[in-house]
Amino acid sequence: MTEPLTNDIIRHQLERLARRERGRLVADLVHRLGAGRLQMAEDVVQDAVVAAMATWPFKGMPDNPAAWLNRVARNKAYDRLRKQGRETALPDFEEAPDQEPSEDDAHGQLFGAQVSDPELKLMFLCCQPAIAEEDQLMLTLKVVSGFTATDIGLAFLKKDAAIGQRLARAKRKLRADEGALTEELSRFEVKKRLPTVLKVIYLMFSLGYAPRRGDALILRDVADEALRLALALAAQAETRTPEVHALVALLAFQASRFDARIDADGRLIILRHQNRSLWDRKLIDLAFGHMKLAQAGDTLTRYHLEAAIAAGHAAAPDFARTDWAQMLRVYRSLETMTGSPVVAINACVAEAQAGQAEAAFLKLEALASNEQLEGFAPFHTARAELLRMLKRPEEAAKSFQAALACDASAPVVAHLQDRLATCV
Amino acid sequence: MNTYALMLNHAPDRYEGLSEDDYMEIIKDYIAWTEKMTADGVYVGGEKLDDAPGRVLTRTDGGIEVHETPLAELAEVLGGFMLIKAENYDVAVEIAKTCPHMVHNTGLEVRQIHDVD
Repeated sequence: MTEPLTNDIIRHQLERLARRERGRLVADLVHRLGAGRLQMAEDVVQDAVVAAMATWPFKGMPDNPAAWLNRVARNKAYDRLRKQGRETALPDFEEAPDQEPSEDDAHGQLFGAQVSDPELKLMFLCCQPAIAEEDQLMLTLKVVSGFTATDIGLAFLKKDAAIGQRLARAKRKLRADEGALTEELSRFEVKKRLPTVLKVIYLMFSLGYAPRRGDALILRDVADEALRLALALAAQAETRTPEVHALVALLAFQASRFDARIDADGRLIILRHQNRSLWDRKLIDLAFGHMKLAQAGDTLTRYHLEAAIAAGHAAAPDFARTDWAQMLRVYRSLETMTGSPVVAINACVAEAQAGQAEAAFLKLEALASNEQLEGFAPFHTARAELLRMLKRPEEAAKSFQAALACDASAPVVAHLQDRLATCV
Repeated sequence: MNTYALMLNHAPDRYEGLSEDDYMEIIKDYIAWTEKMTADGVYVGGEKLDDAPGRVLTRTDGGIEVHETPLAELAEVLGGFMLIKAENYDVAVEIAKTCPHMVHNTGLEVRQIHDVD
């Protein structure tokens, strides 16, 4: 008998199934059964997840949970189709492989204008222009990445009660339009939907890079999947735009720091203290390569600017020798371009690093009236760090406490507690 | 060595309205326990009963009447059972005390399987 699985491993497996495998399975089923059966695909995968949760406590975890889920979902889909008298509509359903997609699949071919990587295809289908863009983003994150309304609410700085309703409405709209969904998106449609697909990939990576709750500092499978999808887009003639290359560069730079960002005990190591020799050189080289490709033409997107910031860190020999003045210039451009309060926070931090802590703090204070930031831990953390730099430890402590009152992953909470302890 | 059945009862509305995350938090404890008991050679097997109402058969003068289980009227329903190996009732009870059912629900019943030999 092998060692029993620990609670942590079981939880990790379950979360992975509920999130990662769910999206992959739905995408696979939609790919096989047609876009018109998105609802059926979601339903049978949901049924399979419920069946797993009901029976595994009594049966134990199957040796290959993903394959188990896959088999059950497919059988349920098969049952439903048979009830509809459609058994003939299941080409090569049984011999489909259960194993992980191979390297070749990762760079799935686009035949003509058709996107053939199942997950990318599902993303393009969910990014239906008839639905409001923010709702498209939420819906795609839910369907393809399996995030819950709570996760999505935290990502959009919104209360999750409203998210469920918005998701349901977006889903209804998508279904109403399913008749109009063709199996193959035209080249024009692919192009039109690409910017939204990129936003989804970007959000997916962010949720993996810095989960807003839970025990894990990094949901690596989620972040890796986002990078894989971006690379798949960059590998295809139809979608190989400077914007896509910029996104690949950004994600690869960020992913290169994963090993350095977390210590053996799962604790957060912030950029300043990271051992830069642990940064993944291969990913950094890949990122610089895509940055070069991103500079073709005169497109300048937020991904270009964010990649430039990440490149600035990758190029600096250590934290102190970072070119903060240059960083600040890029941050200010990014702030102007996006109008995002989250970017504004980071710009203030860069300004403080560039030696203007006082001015940075005043700018940060001006953001405090933004209600969205009230429950956003990074805002309070940035405020606390600036106050600390300004030698106002008592106020800094209060801001660390405010950050601790927000949703955050367990390692981030531990980090904030350490920082709070330095303020007394 | 005897075989004992752990009859896991729960309130009919125990799992209603739980989010998937909450549900996952609960069942991971059960799976971990089942895994450990299996590794220890204690766990024999188990079955989850479907949550939909069952059928109750009653013999009356007019024949056999069949009704759906009146779930809403019951204080507890049988959710499933697990079979374990133990020397005697005392040992079986000590094992049953470690079952996460005693954390996430209010009780269970241990019954010895009637072995012939």
